[in-house]
Amino acid sequence: MVIDSQKMKSLAEATSREDVAGRSLWADARRRFFRNKAAMFGLVLLVFVTLFALFGNSIAQWSNEEIDFSVMGMVAEQGGPSLANGHYFGTDDLGRDLFARTVQGTQISLAVGIIGSAIAVIVGTIYGATAGYFGGRLDNLMMRAVDILLAIPYMFVLILLLVMYGRSITMLFVGVGLISWLEMSRIVRGQTLTLKGREYIEAARAIGVPAPVIIRRHILPNLIGVVTVFATLLVPNMILTESFISFLGLGVQEPMTSLGALISEGSGTISYGTLWQLAFPLLFFVLTLFGFFFVGDGLRDALDPKDR
Amino acid sequence: MKFPRPPIGTPHMIVYILKRLAIAIPTLLLLIIFSFLLMHAAPGGPFTQERELPAQVLANLNAKYGLDQPLWKQIVSYIWGIVAHFDFGPSFVYKDRTVNEIIAQGFPVTLTYGFVSFLVAVVAGVTLGAVAAVKHNTIIDYFAVGVSIGAQVLPNFVMAPILVIVFTLILGWLPGGGWRFSDPSYWIMPVIALSTSYMASIARIMRSSMLEVLNSNHIRTARAKGLPAHRVILRHALKPALLPVISYLGPAFVSMITGSVIVDIYFSTGGIGKAFVDSALNRDYAVMMGVTILVGALTILFNLVVDIVYGWIDPKIRY
Repeated sequence: MVIDSQKMKSLAEATSREDVAGRSLWADARRRFFRNKAAMFGLVLLVFVTLFALFGNSIAQWSNEEIDFSVMGMVAEQGGPSLANGHYFGTDDLGRDLFARTVQGTQISLAVGIIGSAIAVIVGTIYGATAGYFGGRLDNLMMRAVDILLAIPYMFVLILLLVMYGRSITMLFVGVGLISWLEMSRIVRGQTLTLKGREYIEAARAIGVPAPVIIRRHILPNLIGVVTVFATLLVPNMILTESFISFLGLGVQEPMTSLGALISEGSGTISYGTLWQLAFPLLFFVLTLFGFFFVGDGLRDALDPKDR
Repeated sequence: MKFPRPPIGTPHMIVYILKRLAIAIPTLLLLIIFSFLLMHAAPGGPFTQERELPAQVLANLNAKYGLDQPLWKQIVSYIWGIVAHFDFGPSFVYKDRTVNEIIAQGFPVTLTYGFVSFLVAVVAGVTLGAVAAVKHNTIIDYFAVGVSIGAQVLPNFVMAPILVIVFTLILGWLPGGGWRFSDPSYWIMPVIALSTSYMASIARIMRSSMLEVLNSNHIRTARAKGLPAHRVILRHALKPALLPVISYLGPAFVSMITGSVIVDIYFSTGGIGKAFVDSALNRDYAVMMGVTILVGALTILFNLVVDIVYGWIDPKIRY
């Protein structure tokens, strides 16, 4: 059979055009997000910080463990930032390259933030959606448990855990993950409760769709907006938690480091006139937090246009 | 029209408070049992030293501190000691001091600067947020938003060194550390370091809720009937706008207590956070647990108060 190739082409174009023509909720949100100057600024910051964390090591002239013996002991005079000897950000108090250490600190901080947030997304969403969907006594029980856990001064418990079971990065992830999902599960439950009353859920139930399938196919996709926004805003909070613990010297252990640990070291030595030891880690810390806050706020505005 | 509101003391208010207490008490018990089990399961006992103690000495020590009893008996007597005598037991490291003495030493300091910081954060935050909302989209608004965004990325452990650089090293105005009840110049930096980021969060929350309230129907009505602007804001807008701020106070209180650890370390104020970190580094489990439980109890109590105040202000809440 001879097919008019011209017609086929036009049909193909038409179907593909049809995709573009209808603007979905997501396309709308995307448009609003990219028009938001603060959010775009935040996104640029995040891209910069991520690139720094991923590729910073290939620019670094020193590793994070090497001690530069030519500056050791005279860090205040010779350890400052300089292009000549390859210490772009100067050296730390022991003569280690601060650039490489800041790269590593940024990596660890980002990792803790993103993993903590990911745990919150997985556990919090499943927990909150289950409690909200089934409701009744189960919901009451599950949410009381969250209330009780939220009332515990978690930072103290986390420090208790770190002291008693050794200061390791795994323990830090476990500790941060244990607490991060609580708030998320509350938000997801609230959203699920409102979704549950919608007609399409009722329709799905009426034709006998089993509960897990309803949750997976009809509830979870509608939670994406809330969860994304909250997860984005959770990342900087996780980074703050980790930095707090590392500042106390209970977080990641040498030779590994995180931004909190670097800020702690830097602020301990400012009286010797080595301001760069505080300034560079602090700069990346602030840039990262700014980035996540702006992007999170931008996402919220984009997904919920009436809340402005 | 005035909405009827249950004044404190009506029966359903009391039922509500009792209901909240019914949650608070198991929470506290759970916290005690949890931290006790954690301590029990930790590798190494309180008397583990580099040079091993003779078995007889160890047995005597264990008997003295009641560690030879079965686990449930230890837990029960620990809880009983706290409930009946407010006694957290002896310190495991300082043989001549009890946990109560160590806590009593630092607690007044923490309470003083904590209370002042809390007040500063709430008053300054609410004012900043309310003014920003009233002067929406003016220079004042942008300034307030700028301050609150900037302050949010400067948590207490970042604020503390910056304050010391500016006010002690460069300007030389304030003492860099230490604590005196009689001299408020020792209070200033701890309070600023502790309150800034919460002030910022409160300002943000206050601004957005105030904006929402100012756009609502009852404010339009109040304006339409010709009330002067200050009366509209103070009598009709402020109270409903405060509700989200009040529900934030609980979490803010918890993180402020946590933040006091940083203040105590950085400014050597000698508060309860110092006792906690020292005991953490010394593995003085008794003190760690005592502080954790005390802080937990305070948190639960504070959340209870916040809930009651919330219900009292918000006429929509029926218990």
